[in-house]
Amino acid sequence: MIAHLTLAYVFIYICLGLIGIGIILLFQMKLAHNRELRNIDRYEKKHRDYFVYIQSHLEEDAVLQLPLGKLTKLERRMIQLKYIEWIEAFKGDHRRKLIQLCHDSGFVQEDLKLLRRASYGKRVEVAYRLGGMRAGEAVPELLHLMQRRKYNPLMIVIARAIAKSSQQPKDVLHMLRSLLSHNKPIHALAADIVTESSLDSGILYPMLLEDADPGIVQVGMAVTRGRTVPEVMPALKRLTGTKKQSLREEAVQLYLGTYPALHQDAAIRLMKDSSWEVRAATVRSLGMLGVEDSIDLLTEALRDSSSKVRYLSAESLSAIGESGFEALCRVARNGKGLQRDAALERIEIVLAQETEHSALEHMVAYNKKRLLHTRYFGNKSTQRIVGKKALGGDYTA
Amino acid sequence: MYGMVAIYYVMIVNILYFSIIGLSFRNIWTIARRAKYSSYNTLAGSELVPAVSLLVPAYNEELTIIENVNCLMTLNYPTFEVIVINDGSSDKTMDVLIAEYELHKIPNPDMSGTIETNTVRDVYHNPDYPQLFLIDKENGGKADSLNAGINLSHYPLVSSIDADSLLEKDALIRMARMYMENPEETVAIGGDVRIANGCLIENGAVHNISLPRKIWPMFQSIEYLKAFLGGRIGWSHMNGLVIVSGAFGLFRKDSIIDVGGYRGGYPGEDMNIIIKLHRHMLKNKIPYRVAFCPEAVCWTQAPDTYGILANQRKRWGRGNMKNMIENRGMLFNPRYKVMGLITMPYNVLFETLNPYFRITGLLALGGYALLDMTHWKILLVFFMLNFFSGYLLSVGALVLEEIAFKRYKKPSDLFKMLLYSALKFVGYHQLGVLWRVQGHIQYLQKNNSWGAMTRQSWNDESETA
Repeated sequence: MIAHLTLAYVFIYICLGLIGIGIILLFQMKLAHNRELRNIDRYEKKHRDYFVYIQSHLEEDAVLQLPLGKLTKLERRMIQLKYIEWIEAFKGDHRRKLIQLCHDSGFVQEDLKLLRRASYGKRVEVAYRLGGMRAGEAVPELLHLMQRRKYNPLMIVIARAIAKSSQQPKDVLHMLRSLLSHNKPIHALAADIVTESSLDSGILYPMLLEDADPGIVQVGMAVTRGRTVPEVMPALKRLTGTKKQSLREEAVQLYLGTYPALHQDAAIRLMKDSSWEVRAATVRSLGMLGVEDSIDLLTEALRDSSSKVRYLSAESLSAIGESGFEALCRVARNGKGLQRDAALERIEIVLAQETEHSALEHMVAYNKKRLLHTRYFGNKSTQRIVGKKALGGDYTA
Repeated sequence: MYGMVAIYYVMIVNILYFSIIGLSFRNIWTIARRAKYSSYNTLAGSELVPAVSLLVPAYNEELTIIENVNCLMTLNYPTFEVIVINDGSSDKTMDVLIAEYELHKIPNPDMSGTIETNTVRDVYHNPDYPQLFLIDKENGGKADSLNAGINLSHYPLVSSIDADSLLEKDALIRMARMYMENPEETVAIGGDVRIANGCLIENGAVHNISLPRKIWPMFQSIEYLKAFLGGRIGWSHMNGLVIVSGAFGLFRKDSIIDVGGYRGGYPGEDMNIIIKLHRHMLKNKIPYRVAFCPEAVCWTQAPDTYGILANQRKRWGRGNMKNMIENRGMLFNPRYKVMGLITMPYNVLFETLNPYFRITGLLALGGYALLDMTHWKILLVFFMLNFFSGYLLSVGALVLEEIAFKRYKKPSDLFKMLLYSALKFVGYHQLGVLWRVQGHIQYLQKNNSWGAMTRQSWNDESETA
């Protein structure tokens, strides 16, 4: 019993000791942090005029300098972070002058030294600042730092610093290779990191799309999505013929989404693709082009095994004026099964929508379509018979 | 003899707690740096961030719902929708929402999901607020409401948010960043829930962070800090998180669908969905993770009266019991790895059964002391063990908070938290044990109600702060 109690006493003493250490640590951290906040506040007030001076002289040729007098370590850090904040906010000459100011003030050199000496955690902090200062000379060391570690969230901070600081596309490619070497599907995050780069996207993005590594190509496609970079079109066009299905699907969608000009032969080839996403992108593009030559292809696509392709084909046909609508009516009258259903569904939508338009040209177009409809079906309604309940749904949409 | 077993039980359970908090300490520096140096501003404007459907189940939330929806609609996030699910409220929740946002019924809403729910009466929308939807459905509980929200949602990620909670503006983007770091394996991410009582709330955002003035929310503040920072960081490190708080969590929609959605009809649905996800992924040998993002903060209104708090805790006790019994097959089952060998046994032995060990241990020691007063020392040792080990865990959680977040600025806040961490053991702790036992009794009585929860307007709460 006594031995048991002794063990319990030891346990209690250890707890007491740790509680004491914890409380001391807590107050020490709290007081130090509050002191730092007070000092930062004081320095901000002290240098308010200096900051105004810097901002107002960013457009002039004068060489900018740190404030005169001796600065404390915290004061220097506060000024450095202010410069970094402005570098993030400004572009062009203003940014260039601020970057130069970071170099002239010795901030870049100080952090470069720290980058070689400090612990990993500290190096991440330093990497963040070096990225903020767009310190190109830090890139080799940052790449080295990235390659030495297992994948972890702080690696993203280093990767962003490299993207911001890189002065050559090959450095961004190195960074991406390193980041993707951990076999994580982080292409969207990697693409977001690439957008931090100030390198010419007309040079960088095609390089990504032309890379031999499919992972980097995927990053290239992610970064291209929603952006207008004409230089990527040749690379994207080439990728529409690649064997890897996921890349091909995305390339077709991107290519046709931004530049829907499609030669009839290419359209026929793409409509034979095994991926429904490729076929869907193709029929959507044909609808956007609105060329009557594609009516046969779109009519054929109403038989597609994918409901999405059928739906989009019908939509595209309705977008090709009266001849497209007439093709829909023809299929609705003479076609069978799913093909007929798709046509009927679209006819319903078109007729319902058109009544909402009041503009004269819309009325004329509507009346023409009404006439076509009457020619095929008389005054009969062409409504589909639809089930009350529908199962399924696209949960990944 | 049994008294010594109880003492050893307390020591072992605390060593386990210490190991978990030790893991939290191991990770806290990374978390602090991640929180500070990740580029949330860039991400918040990026089209590359996955779109999220925010699901807000609401039952009699007329006092807080507008403030909360306003808060969600102004989040720093590129693409999202807010789906409020009115779960057959008997107050004016529907009316205030319809009036505030001029919502209209959608003729044929596209409820493309297939999870079974109680009847959805209508879906409301206003094109002027394109990202807001309101589902009006028959009362079916929180889980049922979340399932209805999933059925309507249009995006691949869903986030469950309590209607009495406010998210920090960048909470969602912080979670999304964590998701983007490992999108293939991440099935759920939990956020840090903090007590808003005592803080100043303006325009749906928490300003002037301060500790609660009332005693019950104050105890809960300490409790939440300990559970979230001290516990969940450690558990998530070994992929053994058993719960993502219902107040704020992010999920992959396809994973939720795969496990059949939330389980309705009983409280504890937030723990249940996580256990189901673990079970499904491990059974099918799919690599996965359930993560915790302590820098994504959600502020919630804590119960500030005895009755409501007791109800809430009894409900938690019931939910925990139900989940443990329902998933007893996972216990000590190596097929379920960390979940089967550590998390579930830990929960059963040290969470579900904890009150019984403590109560019986205390009774045994008390009995010995009464029979033979020379045993008073053992009784004292039992008390001291409980107190000092528990207090050390609270101090540890406060140190974690101070290292990474430093949200409470004043040294007096620190004093107050340390004081309440100690006071917690005089009464509150014992009440917690009692509530849990009462919850278990309710479970045996087959009580599956939610219990009364009254809300206070955020404005009232701020005025009292």
